[in-house]
Amino acid sequence: MTMPATETNQLLTPELLAQLERLELVSRKVFRGRIKGERRSKRKGQSVEFADFRSYVAGDDLRFVDWNTYARLDKLFLKMFLEEEDLHFYVLLDASLSMEFGSPTKLHHAKQLAAALSFIGLVRADRVKIETLGQPARRPGPIFRGRASVWRMLDYLDGIAAGETTSLATGVKNFCLRNSGKGIFVLISDLMEKTGYEAAMRYLVSQQLDVYVIHLLSAEEVEPDVKGDLKLVDCEDQDVAEITASAPLLHRYQQTLAAFTSGAREFCTRRGMNYLLATNQLPVEQLVSSYLRKRGLVR
Amino acid sequence: MSGLLSWWTDHFTPMLSWWQWLWVLLVPPAIVLLYFLKLRRQPLEVPSTYLWRKSIEDLHVNSIWQKLRQNLLLFLQLLIVGLAIFALLRPGYRGSKLIGDRFIFLVDNSASMNSNDVAESRLAESKRRVAEMIDQMRSGDVAMIVSFSDRARVEQLFTDNRRELRRRLDAIEPTHRSTALGEALKVAAGLANPGRQFEFGENRISEGLPATLYIFSDGKFPAVQGFSLGNLKPVYVPLGNPESTNIGITSFAVQRAEENTLRSQAFARIENNGSQEAKVTATLLHDGRVIDADEVHVKAGEGSGVAFDLRDLASGTLELRVSPGGNLASDDRAWAVVSSPRRGKVLLVTPGNDAVVFAVGTPRASQLAEVVIAQPSVLDAKDHLQQAAGGAYDMIIYDQCQPKEMPQANTLFIGRLPPLAEWGFDAKTAPDKIKGPQIMDLDSAHPLMQLIDLGNVHFAEAIAMKLPAGGTRLIDTDAGLLFAVAPRENFEDAVLAGEIVGADEKGGKYANTDWPLRLSFPVFVLNAMQYLAGSRQAVDTGSITPGRLLSLRSDSHTQRLTVRSPSGRSEVLARTKGGMFHYADTDELGIYQIEEEKKPTQAFAVNLFDSAESDIRPRAENTIKIGYVDVAGVASSESTRRELWRLLLLASFCVLLVEWFIYNRRVYL
Repeated sequence: MTMPATETNQLLTPELLAQLERLELVSRKVFRGRIKGERRSKRKGQSVEFADFRSYVAGDDLRFVDWNTYARLDKLFLKMFLEEEDLHFYVLLDASLSMEFGSPTKLHHAKQLAAALSFIGLVRADRVKIETLGQPARRPGPIFRGRASVWRMLDYLDGIAAGETTSLATGVKNFCLRNSGKGIFVLISDLMEKTGYEAAMRYLVSQQLDVYVIHLLSAEEVEPDVKGDLKLVDCEDQDVAEITASAPLLHRYQQTLAAFTSGAREFCTRRGMNYLLATNQLPVEQLVSSYLRKRGLVR
Repeated sequence: MSGLLSWWTDHFTPMLSWWQWLWVLLVPPAIVLLYFLKLRRQPLEVPSTYLWRKSIEDLHVNSIWQKLRQNLLLFLQLLIVGLAIFALLRPGYRGSKLIGDRFIFLVDNSASMNSNDVAESRLAESKRRVAEMIDQMRSGDVAMIVSFSDRARVEQLFTDNRRELRRRLDAIEPTHRSTALGEALKVAAGLANPGRQFEFGENRISEGLPATLYIFSDGKFPAVQGFSLGNLKPVYVPLGNPESTNIGITSFAVQRAEENTLRSQAFARIENNGSQEAKVTATLLHDGRVIDADEVHVKAGEGSGVAFDLRDLASGTLELRVSPGGNLASDDRAWAVVSSPRRGKVLLVTPGNDAVVFAVGTPRASQLAEVVIAQPSVLDAKDHLQQAAGGAYDMIIYDQCQPKEMPQANTLFIGRLPPLAEWGFDAKTAPDKIKGPQIMDLDSAHPLMQLIDLGNVHFAEAIAMKLPAGGTRLIDTDAGLLFAVAPRENFEDAVLAGEIVGADEKGGKYANTDWPLRLSFPVFVLNAMQYLAGSRQAVDTGSITPGRLLSLRSDSHTQRLTVRSPSGRSEVLARTKGGMFHYADTDELGIYQIEEEKKPTQAFAVNLFDSAESDIRPRAENTIKIGYVDVAGVASSESTRRELWRLLLLASFCVLLVEWFIYNRRVYL
């Protein structure tokens, strides 16, 4: 890696990079098909990674017959090799004003996460595409490929600023209109949508994507530190809620939050999406190397 | 309506005037107003109100209760103010009978009130009760405090200053004296009943208005006779626990054996004023060192004697202790002074009188006093004049002569008048003579005349004399007074008008009476010596009761005596005109040392020795009799009004703490 240290510090640390280099992105949908060899690939034979044997059927390419086995067993077997194909990796960032809260801000945390995942993809020569919800339908984001694009990718992420006002549903819909391929899709958002996140999720179901929803909340949202009589102002739509902080109210808030997150988890799980709840207090390296690994996004 | 009013006055004593109340009652509305003014919510920007809205919507279901909870601090503040206002109303409930507007508190501080059978002591308990009564006095009520033992003392005259009353009440000290209610009643009555008004210094009060008289005592005093309460309404508050027990020493004395004056014995009497037989240990200490001990069984309600042989103990102080001593501590110890027998000093001035010289020379008389015989010429000697004026003699007998000035001593004149006009003396003319007086009457009850029979005694002549004021006629004849005794300052002068030995014009001597031939004459001289020269005996051997005035005499010419009390307090006494030293501060129990020029010379003991005070069991019948009125004791429990304002203030402070805690620690319902 040839990258200025200051740039790395912002989103990715050298230690994290060293850790990430050993990982690769995994798509359950794509690999399932390839292992069984039911789908033919344009670049078969170029691979060197052995996968399995199967019996010879008429019409098979004789170049892949294992002659050593035929000599021993007097039966024709066909050697199968893993097909190496580049993976499409999409990251959709929520860059609304509400993501600007927290310390570090949720947006920064989301960028770090996106950078880490994208880095893994770039190292493994996958095709990485990073977009935000506010991006217009007709203007696709840049595509990164190869280790050399890491610098460009980080630069691009760095340029993303909070302040977009597009709703979650519109943002996801626009994304789906722009991109219609297979691959891994990661949505990083706080899902704080007054009209509900369900509509947005439904757009994703119809896509042939391996969807990961990372629900990012700030510590202040999980454990609100409020006291006295307050007038809460929504930073996005200036909506006002008058509260008097009291034990039952705080208790009620916790219940509401729990219902909200578990509702989202259930909604995603039922539709074959992966849901992960994260806070801005959880370090990115831990999130990637531990949580996402368990979910099967990386290995 | 009137019932409600009386209920109100019974339970509340508002502390403020109406306009002050107006201000106070404005406080709660002001708090509410300020609370609503304050209710401008602090704006706070949050990522999203999404979850908050959902939470509030859920809580809106029971909104009234929610509003209550949200205004918890307001309600707590109102509660604090409410409690404070309620406290200002001074709520309480009274069961007592503080009826009148004027109260007189008679507080018994006699010896038995030191018993610790009730709380700290009976006196402390009565002080506590009086303090409670003072607390519940309404404004305008006045009270007076009188403490009494065997004498009454006005601690505080009628005043409505409760602080002053409490201060004076606290100043009442326990004493070891006996109890007599009469004097205290007289003091109280003087201030309550018209016509018998007392005046104390500048404070002239009381126009004879009715007053309630509270008597706090254990009732250990005799019924008060011949006293009319008049305007006073007595309330007797009995103190003391009927179950109390006390074992006390009621007498303790050292006596020399009749046959051998070098040996002495100590006697004590121990009384048990309890309901059960007691086994007590009596310990005898000499100058603080234990020298003997004995175990004494004393039956309930009875006394028992105990004697200790002191052998040849010559001087020092003795202390007797009994243990266990029961509820009263002051009679568990007794003191006595052992001193070498003191003889009086008698000077006989005579030109020659065998009968008198013989009479003062009997063994019994010389045991009683040391007699010096001198010629009349000595009366002009400078030495003698100094001694006579300095009180060197206890008694001087002038036979056939008289001094120019009366000495500082008791005197007996034989055939001459003292140089005092009260006796009818006139320096210019010779006294009238009475020829052949016939003895008609004699006062045989007087100590001077004890065991004297004058039925066959005759006098040839006698001089006429007058009886001074306060004098006692001892022998009367048909022609006038023959023998009399009269006080002179601190002394007494006895005058026998007839000579024993007469002298005619030529200087020849003749017998003027046949009395020296009778048995009664030496007895008469012995009586005179015992009465006039033996007056110091009381101080020398015995002990005195607390509070008694003591007259001390000194052998030397010193002008100052120092008396050191048992607690170490010393007082310097100056010689009075009569050559005596008077000491009144005998309230402490124990040994008092008398010092002359920083050298201890004498000692005396002050002991309780009062069976009535030692018997600390409170009066059984629970009533006291004043004049013809029986005053029943009132039950102690209903005599106080319980004040609640302190509790209320305390509660409001607690609420304040809770509010502070809720506000700062975010503890919510």
